[in-house]
Amino acid sequence: MPATDNSAGKMGAATEGTRASERLALLTADNASVPLPASVQAITAILLAALLIALPWLGLGYRFLSIAITTIYTAIGLYGLALQFGQAGIMSVGHAALMGIGAYTSAILSVQLGWGFWTTLPFAMAMSAIVGGVIGLPTLRVGGQHYIIITFCFCALFVIVLTNGGTFTGSATGLDVGSVTPLPGINFDKLSNNYYLVLAALFLALAATYLIGISRYGRTLRAIRENEQLARSVGINVDLHKLGVLMVSGLFAGLAGVLQLYYLRHISPTLFGAFPSLYLALMVMLGGARYLYGPLIGAIIVNFLPEVLNLDPVDSRIAYGVCLLLVILLLPGGVSAGIKNIYCAIAGGSEGQGGGSNGRA
Amino acid sequence: MAALEVRGLRKQFGGVVALNGIDLDIDTDRVVGIVGPNGSGKTTLFNVVTGVHPATGGTVCWQGQDITNIGAHLIARKRLVRTFQQAMSFPGLTVNENVQIAWEQGRRGGSRWASPGMILDFVGLAPLGKAIAGSLPFGSLRRLGLAVALGVSPELLLLDEPGAGLNDSEAQAFAAVIAQLPPQGIGVCLIDHDMDMMADLCDRLVVLDFGTKIAEGPPAQVLADPKVREVYLGPDKTAAAP
Repeated sequence: MPATDNSAGKMGAATEGTRASERLALLTADNASVPLPASVQAITAILLAALLIALPWLGLGYRFLSIAITTIYTAIGLYGLALQFGQAGIMSVGHAALMGIGAYTSAILSVQLGWGFWTTLPFAMAMSAIVGGVIGLPTLRVGGQHYIIITFCFCALFVIVLTNGGTFTGSATGLDVGSVTPLPGINFDKLSNNYYLVLAALFLALAATYLIGISRYGRTLRAIRENEQLARSVGINVDLHKLGVLMVSGLFAGLAGVLQLYYLRHISPTLFGAFPSLYLALMVMLGGARYLYGPLIGAIIVNFLPEVLNLDPVDSRIAYGVCLLLVILLLPGGVSAGIKNIYCAIAGGSEGQGGGSNGRA
Repeated sequence: MAALEVRGLRKQFGGVVALNGIDLDIDTDRVVGIVGPNGSGKTTLFNVVTGVHPATGGTVCWQGQDITNIGAHLIARKRLVRTFQQAMSFPGLTVNENVQIAWEQGRRGGSRWASPGMILDFVGLAPLGKAIAGSLPFGSLRRLGLAVALGVSPELLLLDEPGAGLNDSEAQAFAAVIAQLPPQGIGVCLIDHDMDMMADLCDRLVVLDFGTKIAEGPPAQVLADPKVREVYLGPDKTAAAP
């Protein structure tokens, strides 16, 4: 009975096709709001921490370690951006300017008053937080892409102000600072020590992000992201929390900016302009803003990709563009979402969406 | 004195008068229904009372305090809570998290629920706690909307078309849940188009037309009112009726 066989075959193919598309959907889904088993989270955290701590001893060379430091201080800034974008849903393409506020505050205090790294750090972070809140004022009126344009304008404005700031901001040449004030027994002129300083800050940023994510505060931010109107009607002061999260994001940016300043020892306005800001936005989207390790993964990809593939700056920009398109089309949750979903598929479909390797929203 | 007292409430959108001097008293021990044709100002009334839109004129008093235009989140914190027709949930979050967010906000000054799980049990969503709200079927989503509002520990709940989009059996089950609220000290005021359900469920009906209140009273009396019949059935049919 060829007719029956044929129809059975067609049905089989159809089911197969549905299954394949279902599997694909599972791999590309964004499951940031589904938490992972505590054991998986703990093991991932310990392995990652061990790897990062052991990095300087792996003999990967001076250049590798330099890129690692750049990656990590960038990631710290990204954790602020991930908090405001991933949790509260407020994107910014002017985040480098916020890092610049921190860096320049620290540098100016150092040049004008002779203050060191540790003394200027709290002031720089506070200044970034305040400026973050002030740029955030328009979020009370406009949202989405309109606010993004405002942040972009702020970024451009910031560079203009720095370039025309005379000796106070060092104009287009920028400012120089000394090295990080040594702690007893630790000289930060040594690259590996500088790495550990930046790494310690990264661990703080990770811990803060994790704690915010599982706290009532994190849930409040996600409520605002998901449905502002409903958030108000359950009693959340949406305006206050929007400004609040931008200020917290500013704290991260300030910390990252000061670390950048004391790693480079010299800053100039171009470091904090439109291009670096767009790169930050790119990194946070590539990595996955709603995942604990998303910003770090994004920073690693963007900083190491040209190195690994040996790309020149123009080629690398093309590569970033392609990466961004791929992520937007295939993995709306970022690379972290993909890693988590692959883990889920391996760890067993029976557990469904319960497993995963990459933290939570 | 009623718990919620609305006096001379007006709302204008440009030249359109959506509410034209509404007076309303609502107590927290019963179910009050608000009915009226499309565009009669029912949802606008909720929006102005709960601070979503500012009032153009008039006052809203809740438990003796003037709450006109004080801001939606402050009104919710005073346990005057509303649901939305469309924006029912936080779609990207799990059902558990949806209710927990509301419960944590309502905990200020003591919640009537010991845990968010109790609310899910009450509305019958407990088995779906780990589901993503945006993936729920519509009937469950309506229940979640109610659960989120209940999470804030309301004393008066304003439900905007809770039955819209539900089939008959779902709507009946939902009405049964709503009927349990007033005995627990949660007053209910709801908007709906299903007149049969409203007549069964409500102790009192308020009829709006063109932003004014045209009738108020027990359902049987209101539905027999010639003015109400005219609004719902049209003047010709009323005239033609023997």
